[in-house]
Amino acid sequence: MTTKNPAATTTDTTKSPTAQATPLIPLPPTAARALTIAGSAAALIGTFLAWTWTDEFPGNLTVTGYPGGLQVLTLVGAALTLLFALSGYGIRGLGWLTPGGTNSPVLLLALGVLGTTGYAMGAISDELGGLVNLDPGAWISGIGSLIAVIGAFGLPVDQPYDDGDPTPHLWGRIRHSLTAPEPGRAKDLPSWAEILIIAAGFGAGLYVFAYGIGTEYSELFIGFLIIAAFGFTALTRAGLLKRLSALTAKHRNVNLAAAFVAAICFPFTQSNDQFALIGANILIFATVALGLNVVVGLAGLLDLGYVAFLGVGAYAAALVSGSPQSSIGVHFPFWAAVLTGAAASLIFGVVIGAPTLRLRGDYLAIVTLGFGEIFRITMNNLNGNSGPDVTIGSNGIPNIPDLEIFGFNLGLPHDVAGHELTRSGNYYLLMLLFTAIVVMVFRRSAESRIGRAWVAIREDETAATAMGINSFRLKLLAFALGASLAGLAGTVQSHVSYSVTPEQYQFAGSVPPNSAFLLAAVILGGMGTISGPLIGAALLYLIPAKLQFMADYQLLLFGLALMLLMRFRPEGLVADRRKQLEFHETGQLDVPEDAPLPEGATGVAKAGA
Amino acid sequence: MTTTTTATTTVLDASNVTMRFGGLTAVRSVDLTVNTGEIVGLIGPNGAGKTTFFNCLTGLYVPTSGTVKYKGTVLPPKPHLVTQAGIARTFQNIRLFANMTVLENVLVGRHTRTNEGLWSALLRLPGFKKAEQESRERAMELLEFTGLAAKADHLARNLPYGEQRKLEIARALASEPGLLLLDEPTAGMNPQETRATEELVFAIRDKGTAILVIEHDIRFIMNLSDRVAVLVQGEKLVEGSAETIQADERVIAAYLGTPFEGAPGTEEAAEVEAAEAQSTTEGDAK
Amino acid sequence: MNELPQQLANGLILGAMYGLIAIGYTMVYGIVQLINFAHGEIFMVGGFGALTVHLWLPDNFALGAAIPLMILGGVIVSVAVATAAERFAYRPLRTAPRLAPLITAIGLSIVLQQVVWMWYPDAKKDRPFPQFEGGPFDVFGANIQRGDLFVLIAAPVCMIALGFFVTKTRSGRGMQATAQDPDTAKLMGINTDRIIVMAFAIGAAFAAIAAVAYGLKNGQVGFRMGFLMGLKAFTAAVLGGIGNIYGAMLGGLVLGVAESLATGYIGDIPGMSLFGGGAWKDVWAFALLILVLLLRPQGLLGERVADRA
Repeated sequence: MTTKNPAATTTDTTKSPTAQATPLIPLPPTAARALTIAGSAAALIGTFLAWTWTDEFPGNLTVTGYPGGLQVLTLVGAALTLLFALSGYGIRGLGWLTPGGTNSPVLLLALGVLGTTGYAMGAISDELGGLVNLDPGAWISGIGSLIAVIGAFGLPVDQPYDDGDPTPHLWGRIRHSLTAPEPGRAKDLPSWAEILIIAAGFGAGLYVFAYGIGTEYSELFIGFLIIAAFGFTALTRAGLLKRLSALTAKHRNVNLAAAFVAAICFPFTQSNDQFALIGANILIFATVALGLNVVVGLAGLLDLGYVAFLGVGAYAAALVSGSPQSSIGVHFPFWAAVLTGAAASLIFGVVIGAPTLRLRGDYLAIVTLGFGEIFRITMNNLNGNSGPDVTIGSNGIPNIPDLEIFGFNLGLPHDVAGHELTRSGNYYLLMLLFTAIVVMVFRRSAESRIGRAWVAIREDETAATAMGINSFRLKLLAFALGASLAGLAGTVQSHVSYSVTPEQYQFAGSVPPNSAFLLAAVILGGMGTISGPLIGAALLYLIPAKLQFMADYQLLLFGLALMLLMRFRPEGLVADRRKQLEFHETGQLDVPEDAPLPEGATGVAKAGA
Repeated sequence: MTTTTTATTTVLDASNVTMRFGGLTAVRSVDLTVNTGEIVGLIGPNGAGKTTFFNCLTGLYVPTSGTVKYKGTVLPPKPHLVTQAGIARTFQNIRLFANMTVLENVLVGRHTRTNEGLWSALLRLPGFKKAEQESRERAMELLEFTGLAAKADHLARNLPYGEQRKLEIARALASEPGLLLLDEPTAGMNPQETRATEELVFAIRDKGTAILVIEHDIRFIMNLSDRVAVLVQGEKLVEGSAETIQADERVIAAYLGTPFEGAPGTEEAAEVEAAEAQSTTEGDAK
Repeated sequence: MNELPQQLANGLILGAMYGLIAIGYTMVYGIVQLINFAHGEIFMVGGFGALTVHLWLPDNFALGAAIPLMILGGVIVSVAVATAAERFAYRPLRTAPRLAPLITAIGLSIVLQQVVWMWYPDAKKDRPFPQFEGGPFDVFGANIQRGDLFVLIAAPVCMIALGFFVTKTRSGRGMQATAQDPDTAKLMGINTDRIIVMAFAIGAAFAAIAAVAYGLKNGQVGFRMGFLMGLKAFTAAVLGGIGNIYGAMLGGLVLGVAESLATGYIGDIPGMSLFGGGAWKDVWAFALLILVLLLRPQGLLGERVADRA
């Protein structure tokens, strides 16, 4: 079964704390755990009471017995905290929850609950004008969560200090108490059980994601972000995510299938077209980010004008879409429009890449940046005044007709098995197909001779050429492939947005996608990985969309986030294991077991030679 | 260890190679040949132009004048084509793909002997799987040959120094070269590791690859090489067997410094001064 | 065709501005191989700094006398921002893979734009910049505005001063050494950190001067003025040979004149009548860059970059 410290099966008193392992708040372990449980219980109970007396604060927090809005978040968080705290008692059946760290998840969850509840209380006071607006329920939850945190800080630290390391000062100890050892290998379960677990994991993930998209007001979204961030980290420290990813690595194809099933189910969970539209746009953004990932993440080419390829595809598709304003009066069937868009982007990719890819990489950055701007300016100028009227200039080409594929009109809502698919839902599913294609292209090219050559070029181009790699040809291949993938996504985008305008394709603006955001999505998410840019794109699209009230500060925070990210976590959220080692000199090595040396291997120095 | 008997062909024929960078002549009219089954050493003080000469042999630099022929054909001017033709090299400062695994490094070395392109990868045609399988087998063979098979899945940057050098050699061998250029393969090694490298080089020679080695470790070179060429200030001073080179006064003066055995007496000191003066005047005269 | 002197004059004036900004890019790239994306914004804040000084001065202060003070104000702001950026944003990333400082620079550029946009009074729209009274001069058939005179004087002065600094002073020679081989320079006892700070500072100062010129010429400064000017200035630096300070100015002048001539004359080419005019000038600048990269990638005067292999 899971490797658990036998001392923890009874109470924690048998674990003799060394001076280094003393928790931050010196409490006897039993008391600490009791406090944690009591506090979380209080927080939980408080959510059933009213938190405020007026409806003005959204979420209807005035009703006793029916937790709503932010109360639900606190409820979930407190329940999880209780669960994990109880598992620390060694209760049978709960041990599987914490293969990694036992106490750090509790601490993190407690902090999350405190964060969400504290934020809720603060928001209520701030919006309604004073702490007096808080009802007893809020205070109970708030104080309960505080007690839980205090108790959690009193729990023994999971990760032992290395021998000989001096005990760090306060902030270091706080950070250290949030770390946990890695879980050991799990016992193998029968395949069907493992697959079920994967499916359950994706189901849970889908639910959380849909909840996040569906939040209707920004306070709820912020509370959601807080509890989600802490909760996610808690699950990581508990080792559950490592276990899950080990399972998914074992059943890679099931993993991919489950992901897509979950993604397919998404639009059915949204009866509101607006959220399905957000979903569709996230997919477009994510697919383009994945295309950029081929260029930047695999081959290491810095493309700063990537969104222009999206635009080329979109404009090409718009021009052949049969829109009455299109200057080319043709109406291609969908598959032809897609090919046109991809081909147009491909051509531009080659045209831009061929002269510049022979030169040092920084030149590529500037040239692509320039191309991005030039594309926008040109589309703007081809309006009959400054140039031949091809694109109607800044108003763009409107009224792009909805697609009809095999008689299925994507513009109209449809009924599928009792659930309604809105227009955006239709386009979402279409885009999902394209995303699947792009994911497949990415994965297959990365795990091949070509992909290895790309990574080699990225690592050390001189050495790569010495190995016989024609670096120019391969760089051009990556660049052109990336361009066509973006063009592909662009064809769908033009239909989703009904029109194409030049302003959509800037270097940096407040509305994604734009080149800076795309680059950020790839880097933030994690270069060279599949899930990285997808997650990065989702976050980067969602956060500005949800936090509209911060619209003015968005770009500023975005710029700051980029700078901080590069300083402290340049490998991004989903760290490609290699990238993490590249950016940090980590002490922990993910080193596999050595196989025994075969007999008679030459070149091995024999002892006494 | 028996030497493979093949018809002796000239694998490398560099004639009159000169490399100029603006006003600086780094390599001046150097002739060098390497035949099948030979190990040729190239020594010389730092800055003598050895690595520059290597770069002329691998297409990294195009010689200002002179020709380099591999198995009778003039070398193409691009490095990747040179590797395709059959010359592989290692680097003076290790240039591994640090963040790829050991196996992946060697697989990249095989790039030029395989040809699955992008379409083959995307469509996963049946030939693709077979080719990948073959590549992996061949790569593992090379890793076993160099003693790195146990660490196939380790990241290259995590290997100890000596093994990184071996990996570079394995990677170079993956392209099935007829000529292997080793640039200071034992730099920074202790005597035990140096011995191991010696054995490895002999084993490579026995498999049919000719080898040209740059080195500073005199004992290593003398044990290893059939012939040694000495490069000083861009020119080939002398070429011959290990014994000839060791005894040559000019080489001693320009490179070895003190005589090989015994303490220098005043006579020998005078000899050294004369030899130095001679080589400087020779340099001026050219 | 008596437009030609006018177009040339316009081109040279514009080009001198590009050149001054390009110096900053080229010096930094030559030493640390970093494209300082935020340099365009350094230019921009310099302009705002100069404007602020002008706003503080009493109303009837003669503009001619105010200019040196404005330059000083702009330079102080630019240099402060640039050296802070070097110290806190770029220096910690000096050993990181190339992508990290580049992304940081992009982030910094966005931050600077937004800071000015949000907190400088009334910066949401362009703010007017003081102009000289009086009519233009006629020089060889071209009209030169009084404001334009500034850059025509300032640019050569700056170049001469920089040339003197780089060749005749100890620090300047240290800069050349660091640009060629930073490790050896360090071994020779040169404080390379200080040299790098100097490079950033000089580049920033020149950019501030260019900003004053820009304001005098265009009559306004805005928070977005740095983006396109910066992009073109880097183009100019590449055009002239990256790392080469004379190349930067030459590249700037060439770019400015090319833009001007293209704007003026492309429309006269049969069939291209719609492509003339200012709307396309950025496209021509970019096309010139591609052409240069195709035909002479090391630039007009050749690159001078340290070999970081």
